Amino acid sequence: MSPASSAEPPEESTEAAADAEQGEPLYPPTAPSAGEEGSQGRLSFRQQLLELQSRALGGLDLVVEQLDRVLEALAHQDVELAQMVIADDDRLDGRYLEVHQGILSLLALQAPVAGDLRLVAALLHVIMRVERMGDQCVNIAKLIPLSGHEPPVRREVLEALAKMGAQARSEVVQCRAAFAGRDVELAEDLVRQDHEINRLNREIFRMAIEIGEDPDTREWAMHMILVARALERIGDNAVDIGEQVAFVVTGLFREFSDSSHAV
Amino acid sequence: MDALDPTATARARLARHSLSAARRRRDGLARGTILGGTILALIPLALIVYYLLAKGLGSWSWSFFTTDPTGNTFFKSSSIGGVKSAIVGTIEIVTLASVISIPIGIGVALWLIEYGRGSWFAHTVRFFIDVLTGVPSIIFGLFVYIALIVGTGSTYAGYKGSIALALLMLPVVTRSAEVILLLVPGSLREAALALGAPRWKVIWSVVLPTALPGLATGILLAIARAAGETAPLLFTAGATFKTNTNLSQFMNSLPVQIYNDVTSPTNAVVNRAWGAALTLVAMILVLNIIARLIARRSRLA
Amino acid sequence: MPELPQAGAAAPVAPVAAEPVPERAREQAALGVRLQGLRAFYGAAEQVKGVDLEFKANEVTAIIGPSGCGKSTMVRCINRMHEEIPGAHAEGKVLLDELDVYDPSVDVVAVRRAVGMVFQKPNPFPTMSVYDNVAAGLRLSSGRRGKEVRAKVEAALRGAGLWDEVAERLHEPGAGLSGGQQQRLCIARSLAVDPEVILMDEPCSALDPIATLKIEELIEELKSRVTIVIVTHNMQQAARVADRTAFMLDGKLVEVGATEEIFTNPSDPRTEEYVTGKFG
Repeated sequence: MSPASSAEPPEESTEAAADAEQGEPLYPPTAPSAGEEGSQGRLSFRQQLLELQSRALGGLDLVVEQLDRVLEALAHQDVELAQMVIADDDRLDGRYLEVHQGILSLLALQAPVAGDLRLVAALLHVIMRVERMGDQCVNIAKLIPLSGHEPPVRREVLEALAKMGAQARSEVVQCRAAFAGRDVELAEDLVRQDHEINRLNREIFRMAIEIGEDPDTREWAMHMILVARALERIGDNAVDIGEQVAFVVTGLFREFSDSSHAV
Repeated sequence: MDALDPTATARARLARHSLSAARRRRDGLARGTILGGTILALIPLALIVYYLLAKGLGSWSWSFFTTDPTGNTFFKSSSIGGVKSAIVGTIEIVTLASVISIPIGIGVALWLIEYGRGSWFAHTVRFFIDVLTGVPSIIFGLFVYIALIVGTGSTYAGYKGSIALALLMLPVVTRSAEVILLLVPGSLREAALALGAPRWKVIWSVVLPTALPGLATGILLAIARAAGETAPLLFTAGATFKTNTNLSQFMNSLPVQIYNDVTSPTNAVVNRAWGAALTLVAMILVLNIIARLIARRSRLA
Repeated sequence: MPELPQAGAAAPVAPVAAEPVPERAREQAALGVRLQGLRAFYGAAEQVKGVDLEFKANEVTAIIGPSGCGKSTMVRCINRMHEEIPGAHAEGKVLLDELDVYDPSVDVVAVRRAVGMVFQKPNPFPTMSVYDNVAAGLRLSSGRRGKEVRAKVEAALRGAGLWDEVAERLHEPGAGLSGGQQQRLCIARSLAVDPEVILMDEPCSALDPIATLKIEELIEELKSRVTIVIVTHNMQQAARVADRTAFMLDGKLVEVGATEEIFTNPSDPRTEEYVTGKFG
């Protein structure tokens, strides 16, 4: 999954992701060596688990939607679009509660063990990250109206932010694919991508420092720093989801090379 | 579905499952037939009990139980005596027969179950025991007669009668003991073995006590059967009038006494025979009651 | 729950000087068991096909696996009960702390005193009272008498958490207790002979949940005195009770490890499939 340089329409990515999920096995793609076909027992439990995963990963699709819209609002200073993003965060919160409840229910009623247990624990992490990512989008959206209707924008800063946004988006899409496909390599690749976001973050910070003397411009630049930070946080959350992929597959939890150095 | 009367549906459904009239008639017919058969089978039993009581009770008296038969069967003036020696003799002969046959019988049953299970030898033994249960009792008497009386040149004795009776009882005791011992749950044996008990202790301390009620019943029934056998005693224990507690001499017994008395022309003697028969039945009844009481004390569960 | 007697106080009150079976001090750990190349046969059919497994001292090890995988058979080889079945025999070694119980010089009866067993269906002796049931182990195996027996019976009943419930009823029939109490009675019976190891073959499968929980608590307490091997169909039970868990399949040992590992991250995919319920 190559990092997209421009935002793709949300529907397309969701479809592609859904397609990817249809053929994905619930467990590591390698066939179980005991020769069993797979899920012979506890059919309804397996279905519930699959459903829960699909709901959690669907949350990531919602995040991509939100991100696309907020980036658009940012680029065009669209305050109304920003309001919509803020309002739609309720959907993500709802999704969080739904998946959380599903996890509790599964734990109480089905007593999952081994791989199933790791998956359920990972889904809890995933949905928490999803909710944070949604909050970051809201944070960005809240910053847009603060600059007024005719903000003193600097093109290079906006371009850098657009690049960051695209990067963040691609990370979210990639972590979703990695989780659905239990692809540890793809998950580890997120670290590399995250370096890019961090680099852009530092660049925007530098640009903001050198932005000049005009107080309005400087105020706008500070807001943009906060936007950049929010985007960088989204990237970190995506990497965290990648770590969960490794946990589900290997049973070991390790931090990928620490990508939380924002500056 | 009648929503107004919810029980109607349930009633209708239940009705489907109940018996049709034809089947109910057949059921009644079967019941009646079986009941009739039962009554038919009980009639002879009832008659026997009635006759025994009617004819035997009259002979019962203190002297009946405490005096020996005098051998006077012809003269009305002299007393005919009671049946004391017969009672004593029966008790002694049967006791000895039990002492011989019961340990051996239980031992054989234990061996068949605990040690020899499955081997061809065990099958053969079991087969012959089954055959022996069907052998007429007179054969045992004849065997002992030939072997111990004619063969050794000696004469009748109480203990020889006991041997004959023991041979008679042995297969019965063995068979019933085997059945009872098989009922002891294997889990009990396992539990005892797992505690570190040697095999014989498992048998002695666990299997036998658990099987005891059933064994007691089987044994008492075997004793009851032996007590009533006449034929073996005729050729082996002989008969005598005086009470004799020495088992190596002639001994009287109730079945032999009855045998001798029944054919007598004197009514009093015949009545005495009935009294003796009633006594014998009473003794067997007492044995059965004891067997029941033992069985009640603990269950093989 | 009556508290477990402290180490040292659990020893019988009566002097234990001249014992035919050497009495070990309570502070000493129990012995562990090691299976080496264990194979068990019913006639010509091989049910246990070469198992190497260690049961660590003073630990609870659970054996799980689908029906017919040979776990009960394997466990019965440890106290040599397997050979009581006509036509059955075993090969290989079962080491009780370096002593092979299958060595020809070892007395089978002594092995069974050192390795006790509790069965699936509680089986107290029906003709004996509660007291006699617990004493049965002592009387059957070593013929002890009198005061010694009394002290050991009480200690065993306390150890099994049953003393408070039956102290008034020692001379009532053992079979008159409830299912859970009967099973604890059987555990007390095994404890009375001071075994090193107690084998439990699905001890709770015939019991209600509360009785099951009591026995699981009891197992937790007992492991400081004995090594426990428990065969169970109930994986939740294995998860609750066992320090280590072994998974068997078709007469072979597939995987053994810390219970937590087995139930969160098993190494063998067959184990994964079994514990997650894909088969078995």
